[in-house]
Amino acid sequence: MDGMKPEEILRAIAEVRGNAICVPTMTTSPAWREIAPDDLSVGCVGFMGGASSLGLGMALAMPDRRVVVFDGDGSLLMQLGSLATAAGARPRNFVHLLFKNGVYHTSGAQETPGGLDVDFVMMAKGAGYRNAYAIREIDEFRRRVKRIVHDEEGPLFVELHTGLADKTPMMVRERSSFAQQVEKLRSTLLKGS
Amino acid sequence: MPESIPAPLIIDTLKDTFREARAALAKEGWPQRHDHLGWILSVPDTHQKTVLAALDKEQSIKVLTCSTEDEAVTINAGLHIGGEPVVLMIQHAGLYASVNTLRGVAMDGKVPAFYMIGLLSREKDKDLKDSRHSMVRYAEPLLDTFGVPHARLEGPNDVHRIPEYYRLSRERKGPTAVLVGLETI
Repeated sequence: MDGMKPEEILRAIAEVRGNAICVPTMTTSPAWREIAPDDLSVGCVGFMGGASSLGLGMALAMPDRRVVVFDGDGSLLMQLGSLATAAGARPRNFVHLLFKNGVYHTSGAQETPGGLDVDFVMMAKGAGYRNAYAIREIDEFRRRVKRIVHDEEGPLFVELHTGLADKTPMMVRERSSFAQQVEKLRSTLLKGS
Repeated sequence: MPESIPAPLIIDTLKDTFREARAALAKEGWPQRHDHLGWILSVPDTHQKTVLAALDKEQSIKVLTCSTEDEAVTINAGLHIGGEPVVLMIQHAGLYASVNTLRGVAMDGKVPAFYMIGLLSREKDKDLKDSRHSMVRYAEPLLDTFGVPHARLEGPNDVHRIPEYYRLSRERKGPTAVLVGLETI
């Protein structure tokens, strides 16, 4: 499968993310845990489709903090209405990255409905995101990542055309449960990090 | 016999609930980043429509309308992580629609989630378990199956259950619910 390597995208984000809160889900989770093993992330584990809503809640709670969601196309399709909810809430600090590979990688790479033909950029624009566009080349992503993570006004949607990640959540056991991640992030934020 | 609860009474109770919640959060060390007292996450419920209409004019409570109850429960988790007080207002059908999120986010995630659930079509002269409508009959058994503490709001005298069950959701780090028996007025 062609497309950017998810791990390369995540490494580029990790280099610039600063104190941005990140919300990985599904196949971005194992790699992100290795690349950025910190307490400023919380994974969407056990409720596929919820990453953008989890990120939206944090973005609304903390308007002075950037929140970056690493969504999947199969995941977003499960709660497509979340595009309208995020767009309607208008959080300027909310960055919604879509790792689009056209398949449900974790369950065996079955094609998602519509596969790669589904135009999520158009959907995000139609829902009312302030800006939405696609990136297909890692060099372009590297050039733009700092602005995406820190500067571009949200709600921002970026469709990233990717290949498959090296690992899925089925290959790597979660080190901590969602409950533990919530507690850890909450206490980190409370300490002012 | 159950009675309808006036919207202003529910709103005043919500304000008091949020004030108490804000004070508790401040004690933990959370800053108040917003002017409003708290958040209502709503998937509009016909049963509580007078409350929602009144909330539209209420500056001190922020209402976010969500596309689905799954979203509402998950946004609640994000707001909780950021130290914000939240109440979920949905109807029973929405509870049924979002059971996996109730389990995965609120229960397994140990995220406080306080629900106000409207029992649309609840008959005034029947107990819930005797209702002709399955959506009314199954609300309490479903909450019992999942071990979610719940109480009925059967009239104005029951509004004290709102802060009580809100507090309980924070104490037990999980979901609690009050069931709004008759349509609010």
